[in-house]
Amino acid sequence: MKEALLHTPEGVRDIYGEECREKQALIENLTNACRLYGYDSIQTPTMEFFDVFSKERGSVPSNELFKLFDRYGNTIVLRPDMTPSIARSCAKYYSDHILPIKLCYHGDTFINDNKYYQGRLKENTIVGAELIDDSTVEADFEIISMVIECMKSSGLEEFMVEIGSSAYVAGLINAAGLDDDAKEEIVNYMQDKNYTGVEAVLKSLNTDKEISTALASLPQLFGSVEILDRAEKIAENAESQAAIKRLRDLYKLLKITGADKYITFDLGAVSSHAYYTGIMFHAYTYGTGEPVINGGRYDKLVGQFGKDKAAIGFSVNVDRLLIALSRQGINLESEKKGALIVYHNDDQSRTVYVADQLRQQGIPACMITYSDAKNEDQYIEYALNSSLKYLILMPDLEDDFDIEKIGSVKVKLIDACQKTGQETEIEKILKGALR
Amino acid sequence: MRYITFALAKGRLAKNALALFEQIGITCEEMKDEKTRKLIFVNEELGFKFFLAKPTDVPTYVEYGAADIGIVGKDTLLEEGRELYEVLDLNMGKCRMCVAGPESAKEKLKHHELIRVASKYPNIAKDYFYNQKNQTVEIIKLNGSVELAPIVGLAEVIVDIVETGATLKENGLGVLEEVCPLSARMVVNQVSMKMENERISKIINDLRAVIPKD
Repeated sequence: MKEALLHTPEGVRDIYGEECREKQALIENLTNACRLYGYDSIQTPTMEFFDVFSKERGSVPSNELFKLFDRYGNTIVLRPDMTPSIARSCAKYYSDHILPIKLCYHGDTFINDNKYYQGRLKENTIVGAELIDDSTVEADFEIISMVIECMKSSGLEEFMVEIGSSAYVAGLINAAGLDDDAKEEIVNYMQDKNYTGVEAVLKSLNTDKEISTALASLPQLFGSVEILDRAEKIAENAESQAAIKRLRDLYKLLKITGADKYITFDLGAVSSHAYYTGIMFHAYTYGTGEPVINGGRYDKLVGQFGKDKAAIGFSVNVDRLLIALSRQGINLESEKKGALIVYHNDDQSRTVYVADQLRQQGIPACMITYSDAKNEDQYIEYALNSSLKYLILMPDLEDDFDIEKIGSVKVKLIDACQKTGQETEIEKILKGALR
Repeated sequence: MRYITFALAKGRLAKNALALFEQIGITCEEMKDEKTRKLIFVNEELGFKFFLAKPTDVPTYVEYGAADIGIVGKDTLLEEGRELYEVLDLNMGKCRMCVAGPESAKEKLKHHELIRVASKYPNIAKDYFYNQKNQTVEIIKLNGSVELAPIVGLAEVIVDIVETGATLKENGLGVLEEVCPLSARMVVNQVSMKMENERISKIINDLRAVIPKD
């Protein structure tokens, strides 16, 4: 074996077997959750021009993008995030659309994380949805409901969705009249929920006393719905007040469907995504140290590619969600089905026919040749690993085939925990086929 | 009830932090036994787990969620640059991160000259010289006795933690510039902070009341 050729580059990996099946099942469940709300599919390319993900639009700094050059010398990047791509293609293909656009997608994103994380994944599969050209609170509600639907559809029971508002924070920061440096410093500290850091910056500046007390209390401004009352009191500027009203309206809608039990608020949340303009949210669960779903409203992004359109969306980090599921012992694999047919070399024609008949009935059939060196247990293990439910050992064809011998064809249910009575069906097909 | 796990930076810091925890009713008797070889300590009643880790590893445990809460020095946080919530300044273990060297090196910090800087904290040193002083320097990573570097001519200056300055003085070195003040911090995993908001917020608020004031 050529050892050096076995490895994948740092941050990417092979996914195979049960894990791969689970991942595909998860993607399907998540996509179905989006379909439930009438979202249509879209695919955008893995590569885009660098400028699509510039500082104003991007979610990651330029040095964390994978870059290549096309033959004209343009800088091309592997997409680090789906949202700007969707915004771009909306501006391109849906510019004369008069009704809201609802799209969902799945694809891989690439971030060249250059921190200390060796082996941390740089390629991540994302499932997401975007609702474009709808600025109403009902749109916010729809997207939050879909986030909850996605979490449920993956089999999770314990999770929460935390909602913040970039408009609320922006209102306070603007009211404080900070310069860009101070703004950036404060935002950085708020991201770390660093109470002391925010206080220290404010002390060094001469900001309005009331506003600086409000800013200083932001890192603690998270929790259940009551936190909105406190948030409303401390920020008197119109922008922040409007943001709180919006959150209340949203919460009212969520109460109708009972989704409010999954909701908490974080008014001190600031995002590294420069494009968010309204609500922002994260979905958390046990088993992973980071949120599994991120999203928010980005009313100014589509406009950067063409006509202004309000928009909101979310993305599920499928790989991270998969890890959380496995750590919580939640198994997503769909029911095993189909049969492994083990046949003797001289029995091809009969086996090919049997397998074809099974497949025509929609029953998966996997063929392998019999070997003296293997025993039945090994075949069973092979079948189970391939997610098959039955083992069919074709009889030796030493004698000419005789209709009476059908009885010696063994159909064996090997995954006993999933009895469905399909073996009678398979037996029927076998008998029919062999006649 | 889920356990809330604390990762404590081994050494004096852990001892002081435990004393602080005791004041707010979080105790761990098992941990006081100095001869124990146990790695993890549990308070079943309160649902807390504690373990000691090398200081530089504490932010890692917390970032990955293996520990919900960490107690560690600001120096380690700056150097490791992990994604964490830094929720409390415990106001203990106070000291400073400084550029130090012989008096003669003072001049070399003024003219954007390419100099050699030895440090156990290459990231902090790099950030300070590149982003705050705009001085291009060669960073030399050392793992201990950094004071030795300017004496034997490995580097012009060092970036290191200074508590009293006694070691520097004894070796003919002194503080040339201050990078930042340091102290012990409490950090929290981002997801734990949300999923266990009530319990963790209570710990934070209780601690705020007992943290020594200046």
